[in-house]
Amino acid sequence: MKITLRKGLLLFAAILGMASAQAQTVSGTISDANGPLPGASVLVKGTTNGTQSDFDGNYSLSNVSGDATLVVSYIGFKTAEISVNGRSTINVVLEEDLQALDEVVIIGYGATTVKDATGAVAAVTSDDFNVGAIASPEQLIQGKVAGVQISSNSGEPGAGIALNIRGSNSIRSNNNPLYVVDGVPLSGESNVPTIGGATGGNSARNPLNFINPNDIESISILKDASATAIYGSRGANGVVIITTKSGKTANEPTIEYSSSLSVSSLANGLDLLDRDQFLALVGNVGGDVQAADAGANTDWVDYISRTAASQNQNISYSSKLGNGHIRATLGYGKQFGIIKNSSFERITGRINATQRYLDDKLTLNVQASVSRVNDEAAPLSSTAGFRGDLIGAAYSANPTWPADPNYLPGGSLINPAVLLTRTQTLTNTERALLNASLEYEIADGLKAKVNAGYDESRSLAASVTNASDIAVAGVNQGQTRGNMQAIEFTNRLLEATLSYNKTFGAVNVDALAGYSFQSFARSGTFATAAGFASNDLSTMRDQLINSTRTTRNSLQGENFQQFGYDPSSAGSNVVVNSILPTGDNRFISETVRGDKTGLVAALAADRFNVVDDIQSYFARVNLTIADKYLVTGTMRADGSSRFGPANQYGYFPSGAVAWKLSEEDFMGDAFSTLKLRAGAGVTGNQEGLGHALYLRRERFGGVGISDNYDVNFIINGPGVNVVSNPNPDLKWESTISYNAGIDFGFNDDKFSGSLDVYQSNTDDQIIGLPAAAPAFGGSIILNLPAEIENKGVELALNNIWASTEDMTFSTAFNISYNENIVTGLNENIYFETGAVNGPGLSGAYAQRLSNNVPLFSFYMAEFTGFDSSGFPTYADVDGNGVGDPDADKKYVDADALPDVNAGLSLNMTYKNWDFSSYFTGQFGFYVYNGTANAYFTKANIVTSRNVTTNVFNEPEAVGSSLAVSTRFLEKGDFIRWQNASIGYNVPLSGDGVLDNLRLSLTGQNLLLFTDYSGVDPEVSAATGDLGSGVPTSGIDYNSFPRPRTITFGINARF
Amino acid sequence: MRTNRLNLFLSLSAAALVAVSCTDLEVTETDSVITPADANGSTFVGVADVDGALNAGYGTINGLYTDQAGYYALQEVTADSYLIPTRGSDWGDNGLWRQLHQHEWNATQAFVGGVWGGVNGLQLIMSEVIDPQSNASSTQKAQAHFIRAWSMLTILDLFGQVPVRDVTLALASFPEVLTGADAVAFIAGDLDAAISGLPAASDFASREKATKEAAQFLKARLMLNKHIYTNAGAADASDMAAVISLVDAIGGSHSLQAGYFDLFRDTADSETIWWVGASVGNNIWNGMHYNQAPEMAGGGWNGFSTLAEYYDLFEGDAFSNNLDEMGMAADGQEERRGGVPQAGSLIGDIPGGSDGNGDGYADGSNIGNGFLIGQQYDYDGTPLQQRQGRPLNFTRGFGQFSNLDANGNNTSPELINNPEETGIRVIKYSPVYGAFTPHKIAFRYADAHLMKAEALHRSGNSGQALTLVNELRAIRGAQALGSISDQDLLDERARELYGEFVRRTDMIRFGQYTRGWELKASASVGDTKWNKFPIPLAQLALNPNLTQNPGY
Repeated sequence: MKITLRKGLLLFAAILGMASAQAQTVSGTISDANGPLPGASVLVKGTTNGTQSDFDGNYSLSNVSGDATLVVSYIGFKTAEISVNGRSTINVVLEEDLQALDEVVIIGYGATTVKDATGAVAAVTSDDFNVGAIASPEQLIQGKVAGVQISSNSGEPGAGIALNIRGSNSIRSNNNPLYVVDGVPLSGESNVPTIGGATGGNSARNPLNFINPNDIESISILKDASATAIYGSRGANGVVIITTKSGKTANEPTIEYSSSLSVSSLANGLDLLDRDQFLALVGNVGGDVQAADAGANTDWVDYISRTAASQNQNISYSSKLGNGHIRATLGYGKQFGIIKNSSFERITGRINATQRYLDDKLTLNVQASVSRVNDEAAPLSSTAGFRGDLIGAAYSANPTWPADPNYLPGGSLINPAVLLTRTQTLTNTERALLNASLEYEIADGLKAKVNAGYDESRSLAASVTNASDIAVAGVNQGQTRGNMQAIEFTNRLLEATLSYNKTFGAVNVDALAGYSFQSFARSGTFATAAGFASNDLSTMRDQLINSTRTTRNSLQGENFQQFGYDPSSAGSNVVVNSILPTGDNRFISETVRGDKTGLVAALAADRFNVVDDIQSYFARVNLTIADKYLVTGTMRADGSSRFGPANQYGYFPSGAVAWKLSEEDFMGDAFSTLKLRAGAGVTGNQEGLGHALYLRRERFGGVGISDNYDVNFIINGPGVNVVSNPNPDLKWESTISYNAGIDFGFNDDKFSGSLDVYQSNTDDQIIGLPAAAPAFGGSIILNLPAEIENKGVELALNNIWASTEDMTFSTAFNISYNENIVTGLNENIYFETGAVNGPGLSGAYAQRLSNNVPLFSFYMAEFTGFDSSGFPTYADVDGNGVGDPDADKKYVDADALPDVNAGLSLNMTYKNWDFSSYFTGQFGFYVYNGTANAYFTKANIVTSRNVTTNVFNEPEAVGSSLAVSTRFLEKGDFIRWQNASIGYNVPLSGDGVLDNLRLSLTGQNLLLFTDYSGVDPEVSAATGDLGSGVPTSGIDYNSFPRPRTITFGINARF
Repeated sequence: MRTNRLNLFLSLSAAALVAVSCTDLEVTETDSVITPADANGSTFVGVADVDGALNAGYGTINGLYTDQAGYYALQEVTADSYLIPTRGSDWGDNGLWRQLHQHEWNATQAFVGGVWGGVNGLQLIMSEVIDPQSNASSTQKAQAHFIRAWSMLTILDLFGQVPVRDVTLALASFPEVLTGADAVAFIAGDLDAAISGLPAASDFASREKATKEAAQFLKARLMLNKHIYTNAGAADASDMAAVISLVDAIGGSHSLQAGYFDLFRDTADSETIWWVGASVGNNIWNGMHYNQAPEMAGGGWNGFSTLAEYYDLFEGDAFSNNLDEMGMAADGQEERRGGVPQAGSLIGDIPGGSDGNGDGYADGSNIGNGFLIGQQYDYDGTPLQQRQGRPLNFTRGFGQFSNLDANGNNTSPELINNPEETGIRVIKYSPVYGAFTPHKIAFRYADAHLMKAEALHRSGNSGQALTLVNELRAIRGAQALGSISDQDLLDERARELYGEFVRRTDMIRFGQYTRGWELKASASVGDTKWNKFPIPLAQLALNPNLTQNPGY
């Protein structure tokens, strides 16, 4: 769906005719290149006489003077002015507006254009989406919008993506924006479980994986409070509104088919020692070469990686249907990771339909999608300890080991071949998202709408390890183990809105009032089993699921929290821990008869089931005065079941004004657009809080199976715990933000842009602290009197360099600067985070959060070189004369958040060819190279672990300690040539069945410019927070490398 | 018709909207028992399941006893009994272990914070059980009194001050802080309640939970250390008399038993007063080398080692601690020092042993007991190697390999930069009986026996004390002592109770915790601030009733 240029000029056909002063009725059809445009505005110039086109694009306007001029407008299209010249039938074809300022922005409960917006908003439509192998919706707009930092956590297919709008407002891990898909705000919690396996399990998955990127029409980003306050308590981190394609532009049944084939390979690697170099270095450091030599010559990174082919198929059908239209799509994609045993498969189906009734006064809109996602995860873990995970093991594996899955190296080290062949982690997720709305036009300009949304997801992740004949990472030889987690998730939405849009003289009033209720129900089962009847991984997975289901289904009632059996449980005895709804003792642990499959020796399962509700009232008024002065006011009241009676409701007001200077007569013609904007507002945050923390909740403790296959609650009796320290005073985090901006355009907006400055302050930071002892286990979640301040500048510039029939060339550039700081935090309170993992690094960390520092500030010893014996030396901070890496830590004036994000897109078309390219860059941040800290030192070569070639020349002494220090802290600045695509529209006669045929070739992650010594500086491994609850950023540890991908695509329309 | 359907849809939508409108947003009990806060902000209305809370309490204790980090590290690694050298990249761990042994920790030390939170949490749960609103039975209450006393005594011993929370107040209120005599009195009160309310020990399995004897033992320990907690200088005679009578009471149903290493199994013996269901695995594997019984679950972690001076407290050869083919001491060592076998045992010779890899030998039988020094052997008698191919020869000294002399002492000892083979290893629970058997001894009669001897000695009755000590030594196959001194008593406890969570407390009681030992930081020697751990920094901000211990 590239922009075509065939809409060269407006087709003001049949302009000529006899002028007539006689009033008459004019009718006709408004359309664009693809078909009729419903809802376009038709106005007799200089009067208030106007109407809107109906659903088929038809309009009829009476009492039109024969010499009048009609003004026809529709958002996203150039406004047309047409002289009536006495005609009674005037058909108008509107031209799509290429200028960025006319881009339609879907705002909460409505739409506007960048030109008419009062807040900081941006939109990217399908024409401008990134192309290539796209796994998730965020990638479509990566780098396109100033102030929006989108980073995939790794190159793992289906892995999570961090989308950060204007910095981080929250200490804890919830800086994700609110996602709204076709009007349904999604839950902030992941619907896909993460599950522990031999070395960790699957990583967090992208919550938007269920959406087929091919179905998306546009993505709007609401950045400031004046825009997001309509979403109140969920708007503090910005709002991303995803709108899917409808069939409304299809005049006749259209089938579109697109297909792509991608090939991915390792883009950047590490320079590890080969067999000969390795043995030479072992000898150099005084090791026993003979003992270190297992005889083979294996390139372990090569062994675990591969060149992977991926495919993506989409077919869509759109048509007018009855009194409306429909679009149906099917999508299939399978992406293989460049590390073996990782893949992502998605099957999606979607139907979007609209029907009109009662003389088009009543409109029914339905958007329904179903998806199935199958994830396969390699045994990777950012929290892997001394043994490492698959990637860490491949980096450090002795290159003389044979590439043999039956080879067991001594010393608890991991043979990567063993990990690959004896572990399996698969996740299946089914999700249905349905949304139906009814809108009724009660009177001219007054509409009532009821919207119901239903979002259901069922996901099951299972990880199994077969150590029956050889030890596998953390699982001892002779054992077979499996963990599974199933999560069911139902999110219901019911919304009612009343909107009113009317022009009174020079004043247009656009008002909205609404009520919304949303409930989020989550339930799930965690099960762990040991001692499987089979050693085959797929069979073990079936046995795990089967045993859990069989036993669960044989138990009476629904009140049980836990059930399990182990080798000590005789016959069909199952221990069940139930929580009864009433009674004196509501916790019952009993042995009952239950069905066992006999497929596992020990099984323990634990269930949960919680519901959280949000209820909201909201209103918004937009005033447009003389098309020059824009005023917006918003108010939302949100009530949440996550807070106690005293703080249940939060109130989130906002306001904004804009002045279209370019509409003023005194401005002349220098600017085609000039608008000043200013706004302020309050938004809230309650995401990721967990269930009912203001109440005392008691449950049975967790489940586990010991190395002896004893289920913990059978051996020691179940314990009942208070889930967390209750805090009746818990309340909303609130963010006050200010935004001022200017939108400008020159030369008919061929050159345009916007500049924004903002500041936001988030108070009452929600975070867990250890409660004042004595307290229950875990922390108490409370509102810290601490503030996070973010301020920044964003600049976006768009230029159309050439725009002729044969050739167009345009560029879009954006750059943003953000800084943040924590203030007002008690000096005795600090949070250690950014765990550094690896051999001898238990409890090691690289970051600390305390007062007056930016989030993700690095805190560690300052490395000052090696002494004459080759031992590392460190700066002395405490003044005792000795530089100790543990005692002499300090802030090292470095943090992990990029100060500057920039993106540059180039778009060019020439006749039937089109070309686009996109560069991205991040600057002013540091990365801790935890991989090097863990593996690439002389100390590791002594224990027969492989290292990178640079270790050869390090003056480091063998066995020098490996504390966290600035030795492994590096600048992360980079520029990435992210994307280049060339496409060709095959010229067609128009007589055949094909309407359109396009071929394309796209390369992704083509070049990386950086001084960072690791694989890729754009990483964020969740290495752990040492219990502080403060997330980690900017730590590189065994990161899944980003692939370089070449995609061939074909797109045909019939 | 279509319009009718639509009207129906519209009406249903409207009805649905009305139905859910204006919800009270109250949380329903879907998977837990929920209690809202009262007007004072307290959410406590009694424990919903007393047995569940008690079990959770025992679970917490099991966790504390399982790990070699946390409580064990604070009691043993900070004393002269263990050190964990950094071996290449291994066991650096952010300096955690090194700081403990060298006495250089501070108020942000991770183990200190973890133990503070976990052990204090135990007190709160038990206070809830004891509160009348929980309607606990008298036996349940007695259990709770015992666990609370254990928790508070542990905190008092480590930190010198105990925060106490009134369970009926809001969690936001500041807990009161008890010190010195007040704290001792509170704990003693709990123990008296436990002693009177708990049943006497019956079978071996019953000793996994608190018994009358366990409460008597804990009170004896409290009284023996009371003068330290109250900063009284010397032990009070009446306290010592209390220790003696408490131990005598325990002696009614417990006694010393011959066969030292058989005590550390999950089979019945006459010494165990309280055992916990904590896995013995960490205590086995934290010191073993990677190549010792690698086929066994767990495998060696090659960390924990002891000091040569601790090893030298025992009778026997200073450089060799071998067993002969019959498993008998070959180097003149007493039974408690154990020894290194020259080969493994055939599976048929070890009842209860396992042979997972089917090599005919009982798994782990080549490792031995007690103190492992010098060359270690594989099952078939082959000398084991470390991973660089050198002999696996555990040394007395620590530091770089090139600085080791012929006797395994190091001419320039260091805690960092160690090769794999430095350090004498200690193993009390044998892997032959399971790599992760959930059975660890918390209280043992030999400890009570030595407490009584010490109380007699402190009361001026050294003659009876000597008799008691020699009674134990005779059972352990050690030569009788001719006289008894403070040092003798401390050393006897070191020989009998190594690795049993008491070394730090013992050394403080005998005034030796601040003395110098191998690889302790010289600046820390003689500084009494190390006798108490610092209050974790954040706690000072959260509870103004706490004051930081002097020196931190």
